[in-house]
Amino acid sequence: MDLFASKEGGRYLCGLIDGPCQTSGLDVLVQDPAHGAIAQFFGVVRNHNEGLSAAAVDYDVHPELALKALSELCDDICGEYPVRLVIVHSRGLVRVGEASVVIAASSAHRKDALGAASAAIDQLKIRVPIWKKEIGLDDEQRWLDGHSLRKD
Amino acid sequence: MTAITVHCLGAFRDLGNNFTVEVDDASVASIRAAVSSHLLEINRSDLEGVLKRSVFAEGDELLRDHVTVSGHEVSLLPPVAGG
Repeated sequence: MDLFASKEGGRYLCGLIDGPCQTSGLDVLVQDPAHGAIAQFFGVVRNHNEGLSAAAVDYDVHPELALKALSELCDDICGEYPVRLVIVHSRGLVRVGEASVVIAASSAHRKDALGAASAAIDQLKIRVPIWKKEIGLDDEQRWLDGHSLRKD
Repeated sequence: MTAITVHCLGAFRDLGNNFTVEVDDASVASIRAAVSSHLLEINRSDLEGVLKRSVFAEGDELLRDHVTVSGHEVSLLPPVAGG
């Protein structure tokens, strides 16, 4: 089941979807007649990691916490940059070449849109409760290390 | 003794979707110690390092170790790796 959260007034939309993300049509969600720039980022599963071949990544998610963290992340980014923002992340199986995360940011001028999109993916990687299980060509599987959320 | 159900995420999914530990008090520190003992019992001490870098959550709240949980279920969140 797909899960989404949004900010009143359309400032941001964030969510989790089952399977790969669609990369088309994202710009429409952040279009604004006052905005002259739209920046998009697609995170795509690649066919190698740390010297090993990969076929897919299976994303595990804590839905409640992940949606909360994504909303807080969007609040922070929209507080720092005058943008409209969309972030969508996959859960479940995403194969090589498919997008696991899509981000779009629009702003009056390009620097804010580019800065917001870049900050969003940087922050997502260290704040949102999502985990990667890499699946190799021979179906061998391994959980990838990440960033600890522990504060004590 | 209190039974706490620990829901597994990420690398801890290898242990199943959840398991139960018994604790004298419901502090997160006690639950962490009980999970550490559980890992030893099931010969998964390889996850001890991950456990040390993991955080517990109740509902949608991340918990520090001095906190006492109000219910009987927690989630065990290893280091995150989205994107």
